[in-house]
Amino acid sequence: MSLVDSVEALLFVADAPAEVGSLAQALQVTEGQVEQAIELLGERLAQHGSLKLVKLAGGFQLATKEEYAQVIANFLKPQRQRLSRSLMEVLAVIAYRQPLTISEIDLIRGVQSDYSVRSLLERRLIQEVGRRHTPGRPVLYGTSQQFLHQFNLNDLGQLPPLGTAELEAIQLSLPSVAGSN
Amino acid sequence: MAPRHEFADKKDRISALGLVAPPPIQVQSPNFDGSLATLFSFVRDHKVDLLGVPLFPICEAYYNYLMLSDAKDLDEAAAALTALAYLLERKAWMLLPVIEPEPEYEEQMELPEPTTHEYRVAIEALQLWHEERSQLFFRAPEAGPDLYELPYTLGNVSAGDLARAFERILRKAKPETVTPLNKPRKSLQEQMKLVLQVITSEWARLDALITQPYTRSDAVFWFLALLELIRLGQVVGRVVGDDVEFAQRSHEG
Repeated sequence: MSLVDSVEALLFVADAPAEVGSLAQALQVTEGQVEQAIELLGERLAQHGSLKLVKLAGGFQLATKEEYAQVIANFLKPQRQRLSRSLMEVLAVIAYRQPLTISEIDLIRGVQSDYSVRSLLERRLIQEVGRRHTPGRPVLYGTSQQFLHQFNLNDLGQLPPLGTAELEAIQLSLPSVAGSN
Repeated sequence: MAPRHEFADKKDRISALGLVAPPPIQVQSPNFDGSLATLFSFVRDHKVDLLGVPLFPICEAYYNYLMLSDAKDLDEAAAALTALAYLLERKAWMLLPVIEPEPEYEEQMELPEPTTHEYRVAIEALQLWHEERSQLFFRAPEAGPDLYELPYTLGNVSAGDLARAFERILRKAKPETVTPLNKPRKSLQEQMKLVLQVITSEWARLDALITQPYTRSDAVFWFLALLELIRLGQVVGRVVGDDVEFAQRSHEG
């Protein structure tokens, strides 16, 4: 029983991205050994078979290769979750400016965003991450693990950078975060 | 997956109205010849004398555009209306025969300049990645048994039948009486005990079971208790005609 096969077995039964630490703990080896095994497994899967190894939402998961998407879709008939332009806009603002309140999102967009925020919460793409220490203690929102998973991101650092001047303009238009709990 | 750095290099032209492009209305006047977005920018920057630009034909043209347009985009409509309102207000101040000077607009506060256009590239990237992600399939999380859900049978009674029975008793409910604020609350468990005392082995309609007269709150309590008892398997129902009858389970059949 090789370590690579063991990692593959664990990833096969995992229904969410598995972190290296948890894999190492289950296999009772070091994280370095797991990382090596993951690399070998990734190469092996890339060469043949219908599965591939993807790194997203801070962990590793087995997924089907893109070329099988159509036949799988024919079989599973998944419901497509399309996000409207306004939802995507609110999501982008939250992804870049998190944590922030609804009124701050409104300020950036120039329109009310309550509905969009509620809709994104229902889709579990964003979550409450604390409260701002200002009068009323408004809720602060941030993106969730589901957001990373749904957008094929490993972490927020993979988001395309906004220009420096643009970022400065946003900083000027918003109060600084006093802290969250 | 497309290279992520591509999006950072993308520099699309941003209109004067921000993310949403204004409708393609061309303005021709003695003082100005160009698009509505350009006119808005010029007025904002005091580069054109608005008194020489007739605004009525512009508003009319926009209204016609909106009416004839197949794809009615509310964002676009809002952006154009904001621009037109701004122009009208500026011109109104110029036409007023008052000594009071026009108030200085604080550009950041008054002008319709949403900053969302700064996220344009990011939004496009997110849309693309969302599309790419839809090509990947993962093992679906197994839905484990819900401990709360017990198996129960409704026989030939559908949810619609239950809803109609509930509607009937609601229609006959008396108005609520005025009650003190600190009215003691009744738990659903207490109501279930009450319902079990009333329901017997004999099949009976809901409006025959509920104690008359009753209020809407009583009806809601009754119905919720009944649903819970059905879920727990202590009460069963059957459809008779267009109504539902209920009885204790032990005497079913």
